[in-house]
Formats: sequence, C-alpha cells, structure tokens
Amino acid sequence: MVGEAHVSMIPTTPKKVWSANVNGHAVQALAPSNAILLDVLRDEVGMLGVKRGCDLGTCGCCTVLVNGEPRLSCLCLAGQVEGDDITTVEGLAEGAHLAPIQTCFATHGGSQCGFCTPGFLMAAEALLDSNPKPSREEISCAIDGNLCRCTGYQQIIDSIEAAAEIKRGDAPAPAPASDPHPNPHPEGPEEPSMPPGHAR
Amino acid sequence: MRDDFMSGGYKQQPGAARGTTRKDGKRVAGKQKFPPPGSGGSNPNMAPRDLDWIPESVGGKEPQPAGSHIHDRYRTGTSVGKPRALVDSHAKVTGQAWYGDDVRLQNEIIGKILRSPHHYAKIKSIDTSKVEALPGVLAVATGQDAPNTFGVLPVTKDEHAMAVEKVRHVGDLVACVAAVDEATAMEALNLFEIEWEVLEPVFDPKKGLEDQDEPIHWRGKYHVGKTNVQKRVFQEFGDRSLVEEPSASSHGKWRMEGVHHGFTEPHAVVAHWDPNGRLQLYTPQQVPHYAHRALSTVLEVPMHQINVIRTFVGGGFGGKSDPFPHEMCAAILARKAGRPVRINFSREEVYWINRGRHPSHIEVKMTADEDARISGFDIDALIDGGGFASFGHVTSYYNGVLATAPYELGSFHYTGARVWTNKPASGAMRGHGAVNTRCAVEVGLDEMSEQLEVDPIDLRLANLLPPHSRTISGFRITSNGMREALERVREGSNWDQKFRQMPLGKGIGIGCGFFISGSGLPIHWDPNRFPHATVHMQIDMDGGVTVHTGAADIGQGSTTAVAQVVSEVLALPIEMIHVRSHESDTSPVDLGSYSSRVTFMNANAAIRAALDIREKLLNAAWEMIGYHPDVLVLNDRRIYYKHDPAVGVSYLEALHKAQEDKGSLIASGAYRSPPMGGVHKGAAAGLAPAYSFSAYVAEVDVDVETGLISCTDVWAAHDCGKALNPLAVEGQIIGSCHMGLGQVLSEKMVYGRTGHLQNPNLLEYKIPSVHEMPNVTPIIVESSDPEGPFGAKEAGEGPLLPILPAVVNAVYDAIGVRIRELPLTPDVVWKAISAKTKSMDGIDPTDLPAPRLNHGPLQATLVERGNEHRERDKKRQRSEDTSAYVNGVLFGFDPERPMEDQVEGWKTAVEPVPEQLAELGLAGKAWLKKEQRHMGGEQ
Repeated sequence: MVGEAHVSMIPTTPKKVWSANVNGHAVQALAPSNAILLDVLRDEVGMLGVKRGCDLGTCGCCTVLVNGEPRLSCLCLAGQVEGDDITTVEGLAEGAHLAPIQTCFATHGGSQCGFCTPGFLMAAEALLDSNPKPSREEISCAIDGNLCRCTGYQQIIDSIEAAAEIKRGDAPAPAPASDPHPNPHPEGPEEPSMPPGHAR
Repeated sequence: MRDDFMSGGYKQQPGAARGTTRKDGKRVAGKQKFPPPGSGGSNPNMAPRDLDWIPESVGGKEPQPAGSHIHDRYRTGTSVGKPRALVDSHAKVTGQAWYGDDVRLQNEIIGKILRSPHHYAKIKSIDTSKVEALPGVLAVATGQDAPNTFGVLPVTKDEHAMAVEKVRHVGDLVACVAAVDEATAMEALNLFEIEWEVLEPVFDPKKGLEDQDEPIHWRGKYHVGKTNVQKRVFQEFGDRSLVEEPSASSHGKWRMEGVHHGFTEPHAVVAHWDPNGRLQLYTPQQVPHYAHRALSTVLEVPMHQINVIRTFVGGGFGGKSDPFPHEMCAAILARKAGRPVRINFSREEVYWINRGRHPSHIEVKMTADEDARISGFDIDALIDGGGFASFGHVTSYYNGVLATAPYELGSFHYTGARVWTNKPASGAMRGHGAVNTRCAVEVGLDEMSEQLEVDPIDLRLANLLPPHSRTISGFRITSNGMREALERVREGSNWDQKFRQMPLGKGIGIGCGFFISGSGLPIHWDPNRFPHATVHMQIDMDGGVTVHTGAADIGQGSTTAVAQVVSEVLALPIEMIHVRSHESDTSPVDLGSYSSRVTFMNANAAIRAALDIREKLLNAAWEMIGYHPDVLVLNDRRIYYKHDPAVGVSYLEALHKAQEDKGSLIASGAYRSPPMGGVHKGAAAGLAPAYSFSAYVAEVDVDVETGLISCTDVWAAHDCGKALNPLAVEGQIIGSCHMGLGQVLSEKMVYGRTGHLQNPNLLEYKIPSVHEMPNVTPIIVESSDPEGPFGAKEAGEGPLLPILPAVVNAVYDAIGVRIRELPLTPDVVWKAISAKTKSMDGIDPTDLPAPRLNHGPLQATLVERGNEHRERDKKRQRSEDTSAYVNGVLFGFDPERPMEDQVEGWKTAVEPVPEQLAELGLAGKAWLKKEQRHMGGEQ
C-alpha cells in the first residue's frame, strides 16, 4: 500500500471518506465515490488477500462477505456497503489459530496455486455458517460462482466437507501434519546396553 | 580428542563431557550434561522407525511391486510417499501469499501499456509529446528505447519490449507509460499520436504457407521462400513396406481450436532499481532464469546487476513461462522514472499475451497388419503460431515426436509446420504439442479396433513398448507403467461390462498419454555442460536446514517436493526444512517450470546435496559413538547404531560436532540428464531422462437431440514413478482432467471473420465450473523410475493428455458418430448427428444405432500376446531381464543390430525427398519452398 494520498492531476471523481467495519475493525479510507469495493479493500485498506482475477464478476476471486453474505467485491461500489460488516480472508483466522476451513483447504488439497483460495474460503465460510451439514451437491452450488484452474474442484469439495465435520464437532480439529516446533535434540529409547565402540 | 587444541586448555562446559557412570552402574555413552544450544521445542523423544514407509528391500514394510531403487537405502520413512499439505499452504489460506500485484513498494507508480489496435501495421511515427506533457506522467517509452530482441528460445529471438518496426497482432505492445496513479496512466494512453501504415493481415495458417508480400518475421538465410513459415519438421523412420496391404487403417483430419491456460491470476510485474543501482524485478514467472537472461539482453545490463524475484504464481500452465515484454517495459519505465513501477494486466490483456495451445490442423493415418500390430503412423500437423515464435520451435517437434511411444510401430512419419499469423502468439500450454496429436492418434486406434473387431484396450495391451526399450525415434524408455495403468482403469470402470454395450446416449471411451519428465537437453547450448538444476543447502547451529533452489513453485508443489526429499534423507521433520526459492540472487540456477522437469531434476539435485550433508553428519556421529556409518541409522532427528537405538546422538549433537572448526555446513547438489538419443536433426526434441504414462477411461452422457455432452465419470491412472506426495499427485490428475475437459467440451479462442479475438474474458471463454466436472477417480501407478528421485517422475502435464481422446471415444461409443473437431460444443455435435441421420434416410436421432462390438478372431490373438507381454514386462521392470529391446523387435527384428543392416529400405530421414512432396499433407506444403540460402538469397 502506498503511504500517500495522491491528488490526481487530471479531472477525476473527488475522493471522500469511506468507512466500514472490516474484519471486526472500524476502518476509514479515502476513496472516490465511484470506487469499487475491491480496489478500496486492496489499495486503501491493505487487504491484499482479496484478489482481482477477471474484471467482470466471472471468477469469484474477489469474493468477500458483506454482513455474512458472499458478494463479488469487483461488482460492488464501495459506497454501497458503507458502514457494513465486511469480512475478507484476513478475518477468518483468530490470530495464529486458523479456522477449520483454512486448515482443511491445506490438508485436503483444496489449495494449489492459492490464487482462487481466498474467494473459495469466503464462499465456503458463508455456506457453513448457514448450512452446517451440506451435501456435496449443496457445496457445489455454493461454490459455483468461483473458478479454479488448478484443482478441478474435487479436493475443494473434500476440504469443505471436512471443515463442516470439524465445525459440527463430528471430527476432531486436525493435528498439524507434523509438529511445527520439533526439538532437534530428542532423546533415544532406553539406556544403551553396551559401551560405545563395541561392535556386536 | 581435539577439545583442548582450539581453546588452549580452557574447558567452556562445566562437568565431564564423556564417560560418566550412572547410579545403576551402567555407563552412559557420550551424553552431554546440558542440552546443546539450539535444542528445545516439543517432541522430546525419538519416534520408532516408521517401517510402513521404508521399502522392503531395506528391511521395511513398504511393498515394491516394481522392484527396488538405488535411493531405497536413503529412505527413512519421514516424508516420501505420505500425503501432506503443501509447505506454503498456510500463506495461501490466510491470504498472505504475495502474487505479482500484491507487491506494493514505497513510492510506486503505475505503468500501463499501449497496445496495437491493428492486426498488422508498420509504425511510421510515434509522437509522445502530449503524453509527456500530461501532469503526473513520470516516464514514457517506445520501441526505440529497447532495440535488442529476445525470446524464450535462443534460436528464435523475435520479440521486442515494444514494437520497433511493426505490430503483428491486435494487442501487440507499442509503447508504455508510468504515472502517479492508474487514472493518469490510462488517460496518457489516449494521448499517443501514432502514424500507421496498415498492412494486409494473415489469419489462416494455410494462407501463411504461401509467399507473402510482407512476411510477418524475416528469418534471413533460413527463411522459407517468402512465406510465413516459422519452422518446419520432417522425420521418417522405419520400414514402409510394413504399411502395404493393411488389415485395418484409419485416416482422420482434425481441427483443434486454440485454447488458453485460463489461470486465475492475471500477469503483473513490479520493477525497482534499488539504491545500489540493481534491478529488482518482481514477477510471477515460471522461468525466472530465462527472464533473467532476456532482461540482461534487452536492458543492456549484466545479469549480475539484476535480481529476478519470483512472486507466488497464481497458475502458469505454460502461460507464464516466457520472458515477457511487459517485464521489460516495467524495468525501462522504472529506470527512467527513478521510482518503482507496477504494471498489472486486465483479464483482456492476458489474452493478448496469450502463449496458449496452437490452433491445429492435424492429419493422422495409421495402419495395422494381419496380426493387429501397428504397422505405421503418418502424422501431419500444421499449427497456427500467431505473431511470435515463443516456444513454437519446440511445439513443432512435439506435435509428432511424442507419438513414437507408448506403442511399438512398424514405421513412423511426421511432417510438421508452424506458421506465423497476425494473432496473439501461441506457445507452450500444459502438455504442449503432444496433446492434440495424442488425441488424434488415440481416436485413430479406436477406429482401427472397430475394423479389426477387437477391444481397444486389448489392442493397446498387445502393442506396448516394454520397460527399458527404445522408441523408433531413439528415445530411451526406462520405467513404464502403461500396462498397469490400462489394466487398472479397465477394472475400475467396469469396462468389459460397458464398452459397446450401453444404450444410445451413454458411452465409455479409453485414451492414453505419454509425456516427457523434463526435457533432456536444455534450450541454452552455451554453456552446455551446465547442470539442469542445482540446489544448495546450508545448516547452521540452530539445526534448521535452509535449501536454496531456483525451482519455481507455480502451485504444483515444487517447494514441497524439494523439502520432502531433504526431510527424507536427513530424517528431519519437514518443519525444520526452509526452502528459499524466490530470488535469483540467492538461488542457484534452475531452468524453470516447464516440460515437467522440476520435481525430477530439483529433487534429484536436492538429494545429492542432502547426501553430502548426511555423510558429514554420519562421520561426526562415528567420531562420537564409535560406530562406522555403514551401521548407523538416521531416524527422526537422531543417528544411532542400527542394532541398538539407544546408542546414538541427536541430530543437533552430530551437527555441532560436524561444524567444529567449520561453522555452517554447506552442500551443493546438481543434476544433469545423461547424454542419450540419436544424432539426426531434431533428435534432441522429445528426449527425456524418463517418461510418464497414463490411461484414462471416461464415461459420458450425450443428448442426441441437443448435442450436449456431460462427462459423468473418469478413471484416471497415471504412472508418476513414485508419488512423493500422493495428495498433490491426485490434485494434479484431477486438475488436468479439468483443463483437458475444458478443451474437449467448451473452451476455444474465438476469432471472427475480421480476425478479431471475440472472447478475451472468462465469461465467454468458458473454463469448466464445478458443475461441469465429472467424478474423477485418480489412480496412482508407481513404476519406480531408476533415474527419478526416489523413483518419481512427472505428474504435471502428462495427466492432461488422455482425457481428450477418452471423451471423444466415449462420445462415439454413445452415439456412433465420430467427430474430429475440438471443442465438441453442442452445435458441433449436433451438426455431426444431423449429417449422420441424413445419411440414414433422415431417421430420428433417437433411433441412431449405438455401436456394438462382436469380437473377431484377432481378439484372441491380442489377448494371448498381451498376456505374454505382461510377463515379459514384469521381468524387465524388475530388472530380471536386462536384454536389449528396441522398437522393431515385435516385427521380428534383432535389437542388437542396427535396423539399417537388417531391413532393406529402413528409413531415417529428416527431409522429404521430392517424390514424397505430393503425398504430404498441409504441413507438407511448407516443404514446397526452399530456404533463402538455397535460393541464392540471403547469405
């Protein structure tokens, strides 16, 4: 994010203060009245996790939640959601503690290049908030506004199904694949039975 | 002991370091009283050896049906073979992964590119005065600022940063501007005053084969006549006499539309000349090294003054694997303005830069003899290159040479030609030129099966090249899982109960694939003994392993693969392995993420570096506990005597011992493909240190009244040698199905009658949504490649090839109409159905006869031969039979003698003789003209 407010040299729509609740924090930014939400979130508020993919509202990469509902931020004027609760991918985790949907996208192959991932996470989160036990068909319908070119969607559906189970409490929160803080100096098993240097 | 030498008698650690006796009278060997600096963290106890993940050949429980591997003794059960999350997945799921447009430097300004509105035109003059006068514009550049050419292949450097003399397609770069904000930059684009001389454009590659008034590029003495032919290929091998009097033959003429990679991240680039005057270029690149070379050439700055920083890449698939003109533009603007410049593409611009799959005209003829052996392939491929060469020189070869396997052939002929047209340039796209030809070949086999009255799977099973053989073109085949792939999809799909037995509108089809696991010869000849991949490793006293690799992770998981093999060799959890791969300053050269080379070559280089470190650690442990490395075991952060796990040292202790007097441990590993292949012109194209094999069965529903196809199920078997990370391999298989399915059913770059690209957006360029996807059952076949890292081969491109023919063949099984055009959109299918019903006296489409199969006498011949070959292949795979095998043995030739000595009339030719010219197809017309140097032209 550039740390200065430009005064444009050519005639453009004048900027004014825009405010909303982004990821639980009151936020203010300077934006022209014709700014789209995507640009304000990325360029002014610093939420670079919201992605621009297609300029046309066809790929879903820019999906955010507005008052809990998924919305294409590229087809939404910032002014339309002034004052609303906006959730981006940056708002899913609680500090270092990832939401189940985030962990499952990692452990079930839902994310390969990762560019479409934020959009899918928001759509999935909205689904799971309203439907704790979606069928695979229902999951497909919830994400049919999101395009992915890497995964072929199957492992994305697997990830969302797995996250739903965890959120419902039907499956335990996954342990990390391996310990994130392994001790490089572990102890061996019981005591040695012979002194060193004595070959059997 | 040397402990007194360095410290002059002063002991830094309190207490005795060795040989204390404990309360119960037992001696404790080599334990320090205080834990070494750097210890701490969780999991304080060593886990027992995970025998399920250690191969049988070295005492574990992991089965090895394909035989043992030289890397088996380095398996520690830590990482290889276990499905796991990608090591950078945390960044992706939290939105912290930084792609091209996410790099926001202090003081940045915005760059925009002025693009040509004309298909083909000369630039008479560019007046930038009004642009420069616009307040807020900080830099302007045109082609005059960068006259040096570049291109991804050194043999075809035909691109400029911006057009110098003429523009060659709508969207071609003309000029660029950088300004304080996007609005100013966009306004500035309107202020360029350009005088054009519009030229007559060429859109049809067939037209490009003829002499032109103004060829789109000029190749000097190599230029073919005055045409737009960029590259022509001819290869002929084998015994043509085998083709005479075939028992079956297939002749198909195909038309495949151009398709695009369709990644979700549009291109973007940030260029910044840092305070030391060096260029820092941030770009989502598949080939940072090639971009590095090209930048140096274009900017006239030595490579050591440029740092190419590969950002996260939001999908590549060959669409981000060229050095790009917009990268040059950003660097030029940033140098002029003295501020960082960020250029990001609109989705439309992504189509102007293109590099997608070539629109193709492919003609395939094939014959089979009385024993249902494949006596000949004749392939002609004319491909539409668009405005620039890109990877096209290589595409021209791959459209033919990669059809020389997996089947054994009596003879093989390929004529190829790539033609420039005034359209956005075609380039490399997942699977490259092999994809379209493979589809045509596999459908031809289906047609021949019908004539021979045999099952198409059995036809294939009885005609496969075995493991450890050579193709008719001289490619070295090592591991080969084709047979197992075919057998497993046959079983998984219930093929025998369904093929040619389902009702009208339901069909099942088979398709196979064969692909390189890394190009065997690098595209840069000089210096030509350079390794293909180098990996550096560094461990300091904290125990963390830093791996430096140039491997470009584009979402395929190369970073994870490298971390996994290091983790495996050193028996360390993957969390202790940190891979640094983003910057050319700190990464040794890797040639790039294309031709499916990265896992194979970088993991191999990483293993070599890790083995060096392993040796140092084992030697240190030897000094500490007195047992020779041959009897030491690495397991879960410890090194111990193999007969007594309690007798050992921790990794950290061994590390600190190894570091005495040296400090950091550093190792370097490199990989280079062994020399191989023939010596004929073009012999290198298609060479690879290993090949992947795949077989897919697709099941479809076709609505005969609307032409709508729905693919319901795919059984997808892919031989990847060894799945280092099965979760990732399955992801690649399913993702490839998605991309290939798109090409079959809905994707095409639509050019209208005036030559304009009509659908440069994701609404009208239709990539499959979740609803279009079938149920994919990925099946991993592991043939354990002798040269692969732990046996692994590629799984990035090969899995795409089979889905096209599987679906096309399934459509035939469903409706009895063979269509040789892609994509099979409903209007195309409907036209074909209409033509068929008309030819049957205007019956209702719902009365079309669904195809049926009654096995003829050759079916039994094939099954018997297939069974014989299965036994032959099992022995060869497990190296129980190491006899020579070359293409031709099936036809009775001796593998130990050159074919030319055995067969009169055995051909090896790289140029057509004049008598053949009349028989050649479309691409053959490229051979009608002579090169300039043979016409007395350009010397």
